[in-house]
Amino acid sequence: MWLQLPGARPQRRRPGPSGQAVDRATRAILPSMSLVIDRVTKRFGPVVALDAMAFEVPRGQVFGFLGANGAGKTTTMRIALGALRADAGRITWGGTPTDALPRRTFGYLPEERGLYPRMTVLQQLTYFAGLYGLPRDLAVREARAWLARFRVPEFADRRAEQLSKGNQQKVQFLAAILHDPQVLLMDEPFTGLDPVNVSLLREAFLELRDRGKTLVFSTHQMEMAEAMCESVAIVDRGRVVVGGTLREVKRSTGRRMIRIGIEADHRLEWLATDVPGARVIRPGIDRSDVELEPGTEPDAVLAAAIARGLRVSHFELVDPSLEQVFIDHVGRPADEEFTLAASGAPDASAAPGSSAGSESESAA
Amino acid sequence: MNRRDPLLPNAHIVARREYAERVSSRLFHLSTVLLAVLAVLVAFAPLFVRLADRGTVSVVAVASTDDALADRSIPVIDGILNGSGAGAAGTFRLERRVDADAALAELADGSLQAVLVAVREPTGRLSFAIHAGESLGDDRLQQLSVAAFGVAVLDYSAANPIGGFQMPVLELLRSGGVGEGGEPIAGAEFASRRILGIVFVVLIFITLVIYGMWVAAGVVAEKTSRVMELMISAASARQLIVGKVVGIGLAGLTQAVCILVPAVAALAIEDAVAVAILGPGPSVAPSLAGLTPALLGAYLAFFVLGFALYALVYAAAGSLVSRAEDLQMLALPLSLVAIAGYFLAVMSLTGGTTGLIRFASYVPFWSPFVMLTRLTVGRVEPWEVVLAFALLIAAIGVVGAVAVRVYAAGVLLYGQRPSLRMLVAAVRGA
Repeated sequence: MWLQLPGARPQRRRPGPSGQAVDRATRAILPSMSLVIDRVTKRFGPVVALDAMAFEVPRGQVFGFLGANGAGKTTTMRIALGALRADAGRITWGGTPTDALPRRTFGYLPEERGLYPRMTVLQQLTYFAGLYGLPRDLAVREARAWLARFRVPEFADRRAEQLSKGNQQKVQFLAAILHDPQVLLMDEPFTGLDPVNVSLLREAFLELRDRGKTLVFSTHQMEMAEAMCESVAIVDRGRVVVGGTLREVKRSTGRRMIRIGIEADHRLEWLATDVPGARVIRPGIDRSDVELEPGTEPDAVLAAAIARGLRVSHFELVDPSLEQVFIDHVGRPADEEFTLAASGAPDASAAPGSSAGSESESAA
Repeated sequence: MNRRDPLLPNAHIVARREYAERVSSRLFHLSTVLLAVLAVLVAFAPLFVRLADRGTVSVVAVASTDDALADRSIPVIDGILNGSGAGAAGTFRLERRVDADAALAELADGSLQAVLVAVREPTGRLSFAIHAGESLGDDRLQQLSVAAFGVAVLDYSAANPIGGFQMPVLELLRSGGVGEGGEPIAGAEFASRRILGIVFVVLIFITLVIYGMWVAAGVVAEKTSRVMELMISAASARQLIVGKVVGIGLAGLTQAVCILVPAVAALAIEDAVAVAILGPGPSVAPSLAGLTPALLGAYLAFFVLGFALYALVYAAAGSLVSRAEDLQMLALPLSLVAIAGYFLAVMSLTGGTTGLIRFASYVPFWSPFVMLTRLTVGRVEPWEVVLAFALLIAAIGVVGAVAVRVYAAGVLLYGQRPSLRMLVAAVRGA
């Protein structure tokens, strides 16, 4: 059972074989369907930005591209867009190298965001859509519709310099999608947005996915990826460390965890003596996360609690958080810098529904 | 980049935006009005000089060992220069000298404004040499030469009632200018062309450097505002550069026309205004006789090609910096190249066609200045013009291709100004 995520569509399509570091088998199965990053290497002078980066984004999915700053996320996207050339390897969409496809195939929301300060929102949107080949009248109609969707129809005739950063970001997002691209590449789309706008943007993502678009976004906010992505790739120093469906990735560390709730006991002091292979890693008043060492079965914890006569109010097997998985693989959190800088920026984890989502299973 | 995006329609869309942004800006309106006013003032400058000059009297000595010639010349010249109105205060006062050298010494110390040395050659032909001091205006020098001509005509009609008219030898010598003995001044047509040449060179210089800088500043602004990040996925570097250069070039052309039209109109009505204010007199305005359609065409061609060449380099330069402050430094070498072209062109107007000038008039970065002035003063073979244009167009192709690569790499570089090695690596990777 998939835990229902707030804002997600009710009937979730089962994610296809995905996100794996590309191997021959997957490429044979899905040559014409997906965005394939095929062992792409890119150097900038002495710096190796991408070191045989390889993963695959299944068509029609929301894909999380996770890594710290400097991991190679932006460079990968720029190569996919044809703005940079790979030293080795290639990126294909539906089997065709992306730089041989029309530009309108892709929409790009860069991390470094900017608009023409003196042009009105509508002028900018029709300008960018025009470059992608969208006729003006259609662009105007689409732009107005989307502005209304984002609850800011009055922005149409405002100059970009009159908008707040967050609202400029929404306009940039519209500039990336107005021409109805098949693949949407977004670099840190949620950074700098307040919770209300985060949820507006999430809804837009899911709607685009339901229209069959493929969405790739980079982030160092694991909660965001956990809440939205069907597949992810964790990258570090230009390489994919682990990739696949969210579940596969979460289980990739071999960590086994349970979440347990005991009535009138939140300290679980008995656990250390009764079950030596179990350790509380995230204590909570209501429920606590407990990690099990190899050889220690979940049943042992349950049995120990019952043997002590405690009333178990909650017990489930859980996967580690993506955050934990990231630290396990990379050796440090992805958002170190984000945490440091977080005083100014709105905390995305405060967004509705963004922190709750982790896939979990009930204990039979 | 494997993708070969066609230039159109995106270059056109970009150009349209660039043009609209420039032309609708307040700075554009303000600078256009200011420059137009300035141009009109400059066009009216001769009139102002004449107005200021109205009260001054030029003392001219007629130096001749021939008493009869001197006695005949002085009243004739006086009559021609000061008119016959007895009461009117003349603008010229004529004095008699015998010794030409003594008179020239007086000219040198400033007590005389001009010396007319009159000699009757053994054949009977008259020879006049007019030495003008620094304080004598061009217009008065011209009047003086006309008066000397008048003397010759009257002398002829008095001495030779029948027989062939002999043109007098007429030399105008200006002291204080170039060279020891003064430099010969050609006819009014040439003078007009030289003024035009200066106007062209100044205009071309302004066009290339100022509007070229607009291109660079536009690129930097797009980088600074980070809108470039959106642009690079929407359009190719080639489309962006060409669009920007064309859009801003047209904006520059618009401004140039807005400045030139009132200035030319001012020149056209200047004589009429002069007559209204000063009364009838010799022409005030520089003659537009030298402004032929061919010359205008050449100016337009050099404007377009020269701007394209410079703007491409400016665009590439702009792509390499992240902040407007850094742009001046990077653009300086290019400005120096333009300034060198400017001086070479001015040299070609005054100093004739030396080997250096001839060479410079083929060099792509200088030909818009130097070949244009050479054409203006009419000292150039057709093949030279063809060669200059061919080299210029070839240079645009080469520089354009390099500029697109530098731009494609440069717009993604932020922070410190990239080192040459980084740049070369980036250009290769673009």
